Amino acid sequence: MDSYKRFSRRLIVGQISVLISGCAAIPLSQSPSVPERFPPVEERSRADVPVEDRGSAIAPAPEVTALQRPGPAVVALLDDAAARERQGDYDTSIAVLERAVRIEPRNALVWHRLARVNLQHGDAAQAEAMAKKSTQFAGNDARLQAANWRLIASARRQRADLKGADAADGQAVILESPRR
Amino acid sequence: MAKKTRARRRARQAARRSLWRWLWALLFVGVVVLAGYVGYLDYRITAQFEGKRWALPAHVYARPLELYPGMALEPARLTEELEALKYHSVPSPSSPASYSFGRDVVQIVTRPFMFWDKNEPSQNFRLRFDQNRVADIVDEASGTPLSLVRLDPALIGGIYPSHNEDRVLVKYDEVPQLLIKSLIVIEDRHFNGHIGVDPRAITRAMLANVKARDIVQGGSTLTQQLVKNYFLTSDQTLSRKLNEAIMALLLEWHYDKKEILESYLNEVYLGQDTHRAIHGFGLASHFYFEKPLEKLEPHEVALLVALVKGPSYYDPRRHGDRALTRRNVVLEVMAEQGVISEAERMRARARPLGVSASARSGITTFPAFLDLVRRDLRRDYREADLTSEGLRIFTTLDPRVQRVVEAKVVQHIEKLERQRGLAAKTLETAVIVTTTDDGEILAIVGGRDPRYAGFNRALDGVRQVGSLIKPAVYLTALHKGTGYTLATLLDDQPMLVEAAPDQMWRPRNYDGIFRGSVPLHVALAQSYNVPTARLGMAIGVDKVVATLHRLGIDRDIKAYPSLLLGANVLTPIEVAQMYQTFAARGFRAPLRAVRAVMLPDGTPVKRYALTVEQAFEPEPVYLVNSMLNEVVRNGTGMALSWMLPEGLVTAGKTGTTDDYRDSWFAGFSDNRLAVVWVGNDENRPVGLTGASGALPLWGDIMRNIDAEPFDLTPPEGIERVPIDSASGLRGGFGCDNVVELPFIAGTAPQTLAPCADGDVTRSLDRTINFLKGVFE
Repeated sequence: MDSYKRFSRRLIVGQISVLISGCAAIPLSQSPSVPERFPPVEERSRADVPVEDRGSAIAPAPEVTALQRPGPAVVALLDDAAARERQGDYDTSIAVLERAVRIEPRNALVWHRLARVNLQHGDAAQAEAMAKKSTQFAGNDARLQAANWRLIASARRQRADLKGADAADGQAVILESPRR
Repeated sequence: MAKKTRARRRARQAARRSLWRWLWALLFVGVVVLAGYVGYLDYRITAQFEGKRWALPAHVYARPLELYPGMALEPARLTEELEALKYHSVPSPSSPASYSFGRDVVQIVTRPFMFWDKNEPSQNFRLRFDQNRVADIVDEASGTPLSLVRLDPALIGGIYPSHNEDRVLVKYDEVPQLLIKSLIVIEDRHFNGHIGVDPRAITRAMLANVKARDIVQGGSTLTQQLVKNYFLTSDQTLSRKLNEAIMALLLEWHYDKKEILESYLNEVYLGQDTHRAIHGFGLASHFYFEKPLEKLEPHEVALLVALVKGPSYYDPRRHGDRALTRRNVVLEVMAEQGVISEAERMRARARPLGVSASARSGITTFPAFLDLVRRDLRRDYREADLTSEGLRIFTTLDPRVQRVVEAKVVQHIEKLERQRGLAAKTLETAVIVTTTDDGEILAIVGGRDPRYAGFNRALDGVRQVGSLIKPAVYLTALHKGTGYTLATLLDDQPMLVEAAPDQMWRPRNYDGIFRGSVPLHVALAQSYNVPTARLGMAIGVDKVVATLHRLGIDRDIKAYPSLLLGANVLTPIEVAQMYQTFAARGFRAPLRAVRAVMLPDGTPVKRYALTVEQAFEPEPVYLVNSMLNEVVRNGTGMALSWMLPEGLVTAGKTGTTDDYRDSWFAGFSDNRLAVVWVGNDENRPVGLTGASGALPLWGDIMRNIDAEPFDLTPPEGIERVPIDSASGLRGGFGCDNVVELPFIAGTAPQTLAPCADGDVTRSLDRTINFLKGVFE
């Protein structure tokens, strides 16, 4: 009985606090700004890389929102990884991103980047799995989720799964629609 | 007559001529055979010389410590890490591998190190603490803030050839002249002049030995000793000696003195560390004095030279007196021959042997983990490459977590035996700790004595898993579309199952009570057997087997009904893989112990990349995880709620097998996963449940390894609904026993429970009573 009481008490207090915090909630995506030195690879606009035309093309990475803004250590590693990626040294780029995973294992952006490099490295299966993993940590960041779906679409196209790719693109379109 | 004599003479001449012909032929054959034999010896010795010259065991490194602002790190822990890396505490650090601790600040000069992804130069920086966190790191010279610093990794062991040789290769130019000179005057005074063998040396050695009344000199040259070391057989036959002599001559013919001496310095046998032979002065220096060759003082050099004669007879750790006498004889000869001055001799003579107490260098202190690394690598490399190419193996081992696990294992196993009145050494154990999302193995203990390199229970201990299997049963049941939810009432009445033809199986609950019906979430949290078995039978044992395979278990599993209660066997590492998939919310990451392999010159050979696969949808995994959290809040693992610091949310499962033979606990926080097994090697009952045996050890480990609380934020597509426990229907004010449970959206019961009726006044009354009850 005691534990039940304790539980109910927690439940009620919990619900009250949800109510309170609901009123005071601040939208997370208001504050963020993209760090200037953020990897130039991501600055490619989607027009440069038509997803439909190139199987390996990858949608641009989303802006960094407060939710996944990494600490300075991970930012440094992401920079390093991007530089390696530009040199075409995907293996080392992945190794560097794995260091970032060790420091912030639940950072959606890091997993997104891992997915991207894996796709460029030709491992579409890993790219898809890691993009999904990224989405799992993306909270309500629709842009990152959409970017992950675009990436999944590319990965599926690489594996000649056109139907799956279209479905993934469809998911991205929903998330990208301004009404969300 | 004359004719006769002439004929006889001619015949004799002919005979003589043919004899000569025969002799010449014989000689020719002899020379050919001898030349062939010498050629064969030449081939053997040069192959040996070339091959051995660079044969290096693989070196295995722990994970490097990465330092960055914001990192959780106690100052004491950093000191511990630096000490383990043999960094020296000095007043003002300037050379690599030194540091100085001040109040809330530490200055460190790192060792340069070649990593897989990058060459890290030596860095001199100042790190400031804020409580138990890294506040900031700044470069000592420029004052610029550093966002990330990587220390060099600790060497945790080597992979040696089958005869367990280890060495620290030294180059001729790195070897102190004092050692070379001493070695030559003691072992082979004419080394620089002879051609491989030295007949004079034998005579001189005999005289010297008689004079010193001890064997201070041997007859063979260093070259002969080197040859002897290459072919380690101990028979002292004349033909062997002859072979040795020929090979020594051949070596001298092929190579110059420097090369031969360099090989000798790296080859000579100088001691034994249980299963590991200590070869070469480089390793011996570490083995006996825990410092590199160039740091040795004269009395230490003399001891190493003294050991050449007989490393086991003069073993300084076991026979200190003999070693000391012999060392002083060597010092005497060194002074006599002018290698050191008389004053130096007197000073050195007065010094003790100075060998370190323990012999620990190179050989692993973490046998269970090294065992796993070796097995992983054997899949990709030939034994010969592992043991001769000097590969650098980068692993995932976290030395600090490993040490915590070891300390807790020793402490808890002894305590359990005392508390339970068990005979000493009854219990055995195995522990494995990993990260959650990327599946890196941080620590492994394979038995109660973590230093003992014997049976590795973490990898090879196949045991029944008992209730540890249940999350797989519930995960199978909670898949979308099966109709089961956490609120489903499961039948808890006696049942009879045909486990195999003519073999009836009658599952019972742990306490022997049948409760009629229990909510699904309670059945897992309280680990009830009967409702679990009924659930498993209803969804199909083969489906549960499929789930287990998806969870990462490769072993062949028979779909017998008794599987539902864990009658099948798994090893602790397999259990860890199974729970990793839960901890990572459905994303299986194959557990890894090796990150990368590099050649000694820094060329990358192979990387073992992180891979993930979404094995399950996030929603059903979330449902199981929230039940595993209920296990530790108020289920069979409730004891953890007062063992763990407040706020450290975990999820886990107890496991107990028939007659209390095995005690298991498997569980995780957000970033750490641990599996603990406690039992007995003979599979005898030990009287421990998962909660009484494995759980306290698990809890004590978990609260000491930087575990972060498990995040139970539900994924999209999960809703929480209040449920009346009695009916399993939607609860409301008016019901006495309401719990809020997570559901996959759209699967929560729509019907209101009978207690939650619509009468407003009555429910208001009940509400007030309910609230009173809660806050009283």
